[in-house]
Amino acid sequence: MALIERYQKTTDISYWEGQIPMSYIYTVGRAGEKFFREMMNGRIFGAKCESCDVTYVPPRTYCEKCFARLEDHYADVGGKGTVHTFTECHEAYDGTKKQKPSIVAMIRIEGTQGGIVHWLGETHFKDVYIGMSVEAVFKAKKDREGGILDIKYFRPIK
Amino acid sequence: MRRVAIVGAGLTKFVRYAQETPKELAYEGVRMALDSCEMKLSDIECVVHGTAPDAFDGVHMKGEYLSDASGAYRKPYMRHYVGGGTGVLSPIHGWFHVASGMFDTCLVVTEEKMSCAYPHPAGAFLTIFDHTTEQPLYPTLIWIFAIEMNRFMTTHGYRKEDIALVAVKNKKNAIDHPSAQLAAEITVEDVLNSEVMAWPVNRLDISPTSDGAAAIILAAEHVARRVTEKPIWIDGVGWALDTAYWCTRDLYYPDYVEVAARQAYKMSGIREPSKEIHVAEPYDPFTYKELHHIEGLQLCKRGESVQMLVDGVTQRTGNLPCCPSGGALGVGNPIAATGLMKIIEIFLQLREEAGKRQVPGKPTCGLAQAWGDLMQVGTVVVMRS
Repeated sequence: MALIERYQKTTDISYWEGQIPMSYIYTVGRAGEKFFREMMNGRIFGAKCESCDVTYVPPRTYCEKCFARLEDHYADVGGKGTVHTFTECHEAYDGTKKQKPSIVAMIRIEGTQGGIVHWLGETHFKDVYIGMSVEAVFKAKKDREGGILDIKYFRPIK
Repeated sequence: MRRVAIVGAGLTKFVRYAQETPKELAYEGVRMALDSCEMKLSDIECVVHGTAPDAFDGVHMKGEYLSDASGAYRKPYMRHYVGGGTGVLSPIHGWFHVASGMFDTCLVVTEEKMSCAYPHPAGAFLTIFDHTTEQPLYPTLIWIFAIEMNRFMTTHGYRKEDIALVAVKNKKNAIDHPSAQLAAEITVEDVLNSEVMAWPVNRLDISPTSDGAAAIILAAEHVARRVTEKPIWIDGVGWALDTAYWCTRDLYYPDYVEVAARQAYKMSGIREPSKEIHVAEPYDPFTYKELHHIEGLQLCKRGESVQMLVDGVTQRTGNLPCCPSGGALGVGNPIAATGLMKIIEIFLQLREEAGKRQVPGKPTCGLAQAWGDLMQVGTVVVMRS
């Protein structure tokens, strides 16, 4: 049977069940600390490399192009951007059908070369287009936890 | 093949819980390496990265994740991985790129952030054992080392109190290392009285879990001569794997280290390693492993490593200093970065830039070795000034 046929019933063969018993605690890092603390204030921060004329969003401690240290170059980049590309998702990550499809967009933050992937809200799939101006909608201040979901979604700027 | 030199090196502090992300750690190591030889990222033609299991940092495809922080943006990049042996395989991997003539410069980066793994990175090791014959016994890394240590001790008639001297020596050496995590003045009694993890391994027989990064810059001869007045040459490389069935091996002796060492010695023209190697950094994640590896490296006859230790031969001021850095036991053990830390120590020793750690006698030939994978890989690099 081996190598020729696929087994049909687990009772036909010996097998075992196992798992890799690991869990993790991830630090957000030095640049992430700045990014998420500012997010709790309702602000989006980036990091600018003067010599490469690039602004990274989210901020980083270093410029990947020239390796300059950027920790003294964090700046508020505002909450506005444009839809760089987008999709509408009908299936969840476990393969099940989503009750309500969600719109996911890559948002290029204005004046930067970086961006944030997030949901679009207060709009309909048929109304979204590449190049659409959008802005971040934050959760109420008391509900913010210092994570990317402190932004509820981005919505079209009317 | 072309001659390949190490021209710069960077090493972060080794710590238990780093705030930095794995990427931020890698960046710090690389930044230091570039600054050490006044090179720019644009001077680097290719990058190799060594990092051990993805399960430590908890980032699947960790090599790809770490690439930009390793200076590999839009550059040829490769990640390699042989467990604990990774840090000494990494300069070998970089050496190929430059020796072949393909590239004139190569940045070699290693990183490990073990503190991400919760509750302990040891959990990642359960699934390296055979799933049907061994995993049901819930093996831990420590008990497999314990049975190897017992076999090694019993075969040669070594005493635990003598082996404990490795921890005393290395943790003391680490006091002079700016990156050290577990530098301390301890006694043999401290080791023997520390908690028993799995007999005969006590807590102070083991290196810690650590976060850290290390980087070196390799260059072809014509570039190396421009960059530095003190290039250190990679003169011999060797690596080998034994069978993955560990019950098939006789654990008292690391044959795979011998095979790797003989390959490196042949390339470097070394006939009497114990006389021609002036300073060595054998891999010491456990006390007995330093001795085990010294024997595998042919730095003494089988069964004589403890006498060497007791006689002070492997002290920093001895005839064959071993782990003058403080080793994994003293400096710390962020797996892949540890091997490269050892390479960097030999680099500094041969340049006579090791400061308080400098071994006397103007060493001109040194060796670094690491070990890992399924406890069956040996990686060896011989370096000369």
